Amino acid sequence: MHRYVFKRILLLIPIMLAVSFVVYFIVDLAPGDDIDAIYGNELTAEQKDELREELGYNDPLVIRYARYMGKLLTGDMGTSSFYHEPVMKLYFSKFPATLNLAFWGIIVALLIAIPLGIIAAVHQNTLIDSASMILGLLGMSMPNFWFGLMLIILFSLTLGWLPSFGNESWTSVILPAVTVGVGQAALLIRTTRSSMLEVIRQDYLRTVRAKGVNERTVIYHHALRNALIPIITAAGTQLGIALGGSVVVESVFAWPGVGKLTIDAFNTRDTTLVVGCLILTTAFSSILMMLIDIIYAFVDPRIKARYMN
Amino acid sequence: MKKRSKKQSGGKGFWGEVAKEFKKNKGAIIGLIIFGIIIFAAIAAMFILDYKTQITKLNLSEALRPVSSKHIFGTDQFGRDIFLRILYGAHYSLLIGVCAVVISTLIGSILGILAGYFGGITETLIMRLMDIISPIPSVLLAICIASAFGQSLYSLMLAVGVISVPSFARVARAGVMTVRDQEYIEAAKSQGASEFQIIVEHVIPNSLPPILVQATMRVASAIISASSLSFLGLGVPAPQPEWGGMLSEGRNFLGTNTNMTLFPGIAIMITVLCINLIGDGVRDAMDPRLKR
Repeated sequence: MHRYVFKRILLLIPIMLAVSFVVYFIVDLAPGDDIDAIYGNELTAEQKDELREELGYNDPLVIRYARYMGKLLTGDMGTSSFYHEPVMKLYFSKFPATLNLAFWGIIVALLIAIPLGIIAAVHQNTLIDSASMILGLLGMSMPNFWFGLMLIILFSLTLGWLPSFGNESWTSVILPAVTVGVGQAALLIRTTRSSMLEVIRQDYLRTVRAKGVNERTVIYHHALRNALIPIITAAGTQLGIALGGSVVVESVFAWPGVGKLTIDAFNTRDTTLVVGCLILTTAFSSILMMLIDIIYAFVDPRIKARYMN
Repeated sequence: MKKRSKKQSGGKGFWGEVAKEFKKNKGAIIGLIIFGIIIFAAIAAMFILDYKTQITKLNLSEALRPVSSKHIFGTDQFGRDIFLRILYGAHYSLLIGVCAVVISTLIGSILGILAGYFGGITETLIMRLMDIISPIPSVLLAICIASAFGQSLYSLMLAVGVISVPSFARVARAGVMTVRDQEYIEAAKSQGASEFQIIVEHVIPNSLPPILVQATMRVASAIISASSLSFLGLGVPAPQPEWGGMLSEGRNFLGTNTNMTLFPGIAIMITVLCINLIGDGVRDAMDPRLKR
């Protein structure tokens, strides 16, 4: 088992190295660089070119990348040309907000998806089942940033109950978290339903019923517990996606997280910050996915058995 | 092999079976009908509406009007009719969704088929490359590609297409691996068929169903991804009435005119819902084991 964990962690290193190269390469393709971002119209094109030559911006991609990685290994990801602060420091000052949003988002998603998924599975092929499936489909079919805008119109502008942007008070997280959560719930309802259906048909549940245990205990105690593994795995994956993918929701609610930091960096052509954000975000979501795989392996006896000897 | 025998005994063949199963699915049929209407409306709008006078012409005296009999969805900040703009904008979303998926299906399937069929070093190289692309959060990757190639319809298609290449490659590879070691492939080999012939005549047709299912589903998510990118300002440039872009404009008028935000979103939702319904139908029809 230790070998499996060790192998998974080791595998992350080459993947992250390759990811960082791909990111560096794609960002390099985009027009505009730090020099443009910092000096804009202050310097003439010739002066900017001279500066680029001097700072090594015209060196081959591989050399620049090697230089970047060399600095990264010492914990230096460069300085943002817009904020004039180290990229690492900027990123980690915004990270808690993103983590906070992702956490509450998945809580909302589970609160919606688990009850609906169970009801759908228990009442399979009835009206309730179809209704919750249609609800899930609707949730999957709407762009979540649009849903966020609708929530703002209703709860902030019309009713005036909740703040529509920023992160000033504890109520600020509600609307963005519901926006993220509803989108994820749509996918999790399906997982919950199919996972419950699989368990409900097992022989051991028939045995439990035959022993005269009441139906509520059968469903919530025996069935749900066994159906939970795929649900938690799916939720973990969703959490990983939320860490990197809440860019749009963060931008709708002006949520001060890393997603908004990234998109602002794109808009100001702050190349160093863009590369840093992309590498760090990918690293965090990969680490999360890896943890889920490892936890899954510990929970699922079949995977555990494969690596025992 | 299963599919072959069906062809011989059933008379209607695999695709006949699929069509029969699909017709039984009420949701999928409703989705297909509404989607057909949307496509028809999108094409008709391009011919009937005049882009210069009806879609992009400013008419400031009519700006931000509410819903009325003259403008059934109201007007936007420049006095342009929102209903007509949504109608005209339908072809952008459909085009982006379909083209993006064509891009990812072609690239992904070719890579997946090569990896699955040849195995060994080819497989390792291709699948490792996919492992490198897939952990990058898809929205961020799409933003990177879209900004690298500039703000246009084509770079949007490419950006949205590239993000689902890895999943197509995996599906295609898995499909090929199940047919690779079948006896009829060996039989074809022993008859002197070339690798290319075997791939085209046997491997592709038999690994097609999962790829097709994936493709239908992906059109829906591609339309949503594209509208997200447009919303962030990386999509089709204004004043072209792309739905995501319209939402992004509407966002500045949330307090004064909700129609600008409400209707384009509903348009996206209905279109994507239809495609999801069709996708579910196709999946259930192609793999009845999944249906419960």
